[in-house]
Amino acid sequence: MSTNRLTLRQSVALVWRTLRSMRTALILLLLLALASVAGSLIPQWPNSPERVAEYQLDHGLWGQFLDRAGLFDVFGSWWFVLITVLLFVSLVACLIPRTRALIRALRARPVQAREIDAFRHYGERTVAAPPSKALDGSARVLRRRFFRVARDPARPALAAEKGVLRELGSLLFHWAFILILVGVVFGKGTGFSGYAVVVEGDTWIDAAANYDGQIRTGRFFDGDFTGTGLRLREFESRFRETGQAMDFVSSVDVLNPDGSVIRQQDIRVNHPADVNGIRFYQINFGWAPVLTVRDADGVAFDDAVVMDRDPAPEGVPEFAMPWRGVIKLPGAGGTTFAGGNDLAIELELWPDSAGLANFLQTGQPTVMLRASNAVIRYTVWQGKLTSLATNRLDTSFMEETGRGLVGEERTDEIDSGGLDMTLGFPELRQYSVFQVSRDAGVPIVLLAAILILVGLLPALYTSRRKVWVRAEPSGDGAVLKVGGFALQRKPQFEDEFDRLLEALAAEAGGEASEPPPTNGQPTEEQQEVQTR
Amino acid sequence: MTDLQWARISSDAFNATLFAYLAAMVGYFAYLAFRREWLWKASRAVAYAGLAANIVSIVARGFAANRVPWGNMYEYSVMLAMLVVAGYLIIVEGMYKVRTLGGFALMFSVLTMAVAVSFLYVGPGPLVPALNSYWIKIHVQAAIWGSSLFALGGIVTILYLVQDWRERRQVEALRGSGPPPIMGGALDLDLNAPDDLDRDVDEVPVAATAPRASRLPSAQTLDRVAYRIIAFAFPIWTFAVIAGAIWAQEAWGRYWGWDPKETWSFITWTIFAGYLHARATSGWKGRRAAVIALVGFVSLLVTYYVVNLWIVGLHSYAK
Repeated sequence: MSTNRLTLRQSVALVWRTLRSMRTALILLLLLALASVAGSLIPQWPNSPERVAEYQLDHGLWGQFLDRAGLFDVFGSWWFVLITVLLFVSLVACLIPRTRALIRALRARPVQAREIDAFRHYGERTVAAPPSKALDGSARVLRRRFFRVARDPARPALAAEKGVLRELGSLLFHWAFILILVGVVFGKGTGFSGYAVVVEGDTWIDAAANYDGQIRTGRFFDGDFTGTGLRLREFESRFRETGQAMDFVSSVDVLNPDGSVIRQQDIRVNHPADVNGIRFYQINFGWAPVLTVRDADGVAFDDAVVMDRDPAPEGVPEFAMPWRGVIKLPGAGGTTFAGGNDLAIELELWPDSAGLANFLQTGQPTVMLRASNAVIRYTVWQGKLTSLATNRLDTSFMEETGRGLVGEERTDEIDSGGLDMTLGFPELRQYSVFQVSRDAGVPIVLLAAILILVGLLPALYTSRRKVWVRAEPSGDGAVLKVGGFALQRKPQFEDEFDRLLEALAAEAGGEASEPPPTNGQPTEEQQEVQTR
Repeated sequence: MTDLQWARISSDAFNATLFAYLAAMVGYFAYLAFRREWLWKASRAVAYAGLAANIVSIVARGFAANRVPWGNMYEYSVMLAMLVVAGYLIIVEGMYKVRTLGGFALMFSVLTMAVAVSFLYVGPGPLVPALNSYWIKIHVQAAIWGSSLFALGGIVTILYLVQDWRERRQVEALRGSGPPPIMGGALDLDLNAPDDLDRDVDEVPVAATAPRASRLPSAQTLDRVAYRIIAFAFPIWTFAVIAGAIWAQEAWGRYWGWDPKETWSFITWTIFAGYLHARATSGWKGRRAAVIALVGFVSLLVTYYVVNLWIVGLHSYAK
């Protein structure tokens, strides 16, 4: 039992020691990079689900393998999280002893040297001042240059060091990554991100149901939606003649939960709206024709239909494609077809009728950037609807009973399949898609990012330097013996040491023996040193 | 002047730049081969002239498009080429007094510009909405500066690896041929010696005594120059990534989303962070660290070319 416990402790110690080594951290860091490479080369589910589906279709067994291994969601996979966690544990394991050592070093006084002339840099100067005064001067000079100075109690000597900032910066840099982790976990955990689809003239309310399932909430999200409203007054997309997009602007009223207007605002790319801790970003837009279906009983449907653009094939501009939507009317079909009396009207919108005309005549796509005499081609289906979800029509239990065409501000009669209806197209509107997100961790992450930069600069560009000075009596004056070395940036220290030596000598009265100082006036050379 | 005239000036200056860089490159290589002082002076003058033309090309492009001249890959490449040459002239020649690497730095710029004009050229035009933000001035500038310095560091690293390999081979050749000399070459062969030699960087102690004189600076010098440049680039790149995250938060509603560009700039950052750590770790110094830097250089090229051109992501508009 006792040996067993010892082995356990030993193995824990071994794991800890391994994690503490810089090599482990390095390898983990490079592993993280390697995993990221995979994540960028293989399509990722959170970024582009449709490309993942396509990839899986094309690659069969290999696709299945990638799916199993979590390679379609590298950054959310257990092994990516494992590497990250190990890296952070390793980081903390490295940082704790280093932080302790730094605190100890900050508290401790610089250590006196025994052999002063054995250091990498060494110099002697004979000065006019007696040893104790010369040493006082040296301490002043060094303090002025931000050295920490400790006098030797036993003899006229001192030890000085400088450059704690390097280690301080390095530690700040590394600890800031822990802060990033805290910010990310807190922000993503308590926040959410979803999409809001709003048609011109409509008001959208921040509530669970209004995201239509297009929302991802954090693990600790409290389910508290704000009830903030967004009324889309108008959406405008501006293009150049070349078809290049210029600007997408949603003019909105931001509303309180009680319906009162907080403010009017334009939301555009790079200019989100910030309300009650949630932000609205301009993400997408599209067409939403207002359609009315009337039958003998009155109005069966009167609403804006949010349409999706057909995916463009290779080489065809996306704005040349028509838009699709569907109206579903359960029980409105009258006569029974294929075991059901549901009705569906499949819609194909050409925002610019010239686009359709050109397509029918030449088969060539035409870019439709602006709406002009919009026209809808429709297909009537009767039978059984398998789902009421919008914009997808499963026609396996339905039969096509008619086709037609309706222009903007026109009405068309549907009289096939035993129906007696009209389809009206009074108005073409646009819809705007906003990304709505709440992330309370952003300020923490931003602070961490700033700390990373603040720590990085001294960590890379400063160096630790140690200097020792000893003053020994010599005639009326003293001999200053100065030794020192730098732990980093050694070549730069060479000049610094020379300058320091001159400054120390100058402070103590300069060269004492030859030539003797004239009335205490410093020589030209010394003046130059002092003014530097 | 009209936009069209400015566009004309920009493309003329581009051609002049390419021509000058090409000439300076040949000159620098000739200097490397024949070591004639006048060759170096002439090459340097031509390189400076090219640099001036390069700057004219960039500024004129900005006037032609009425916006910052770094809004697409062509413009980014032209600026990258400019900064690599400027970085070489100021840092490598100016600060470290190494004159023999000009051909390599100029070759990088010539290739970058040739690729830009052949495959990436687009006329001066307005920015797409996503790029229309003041962050383009901050984020993209930092990215170009970071990239150009990393590229310069990468070039020096490659030369370091070549030189290191040659020096090693010479050590072996010396060891193999008879008894080691009592004084001279063999005493200088301690590859772990402190960086004392950096003062006279153009002196080549090892190679000078070897039978075939090396024309490049010593491996140690190259290693130190490469390290300094990369250590200079690293905070700039870090800032570029952070600025990009801030911009992403403004434009796309999240500061980090593992978009291919974000992912690869992170990979590049990680590798160079690994390099800086490796240099501080015993056993990884020198060749091993240099190999990491080389991988970082490749990753940088992927971040720029492969991500923009071949991987679908949010930065695809940068074409």
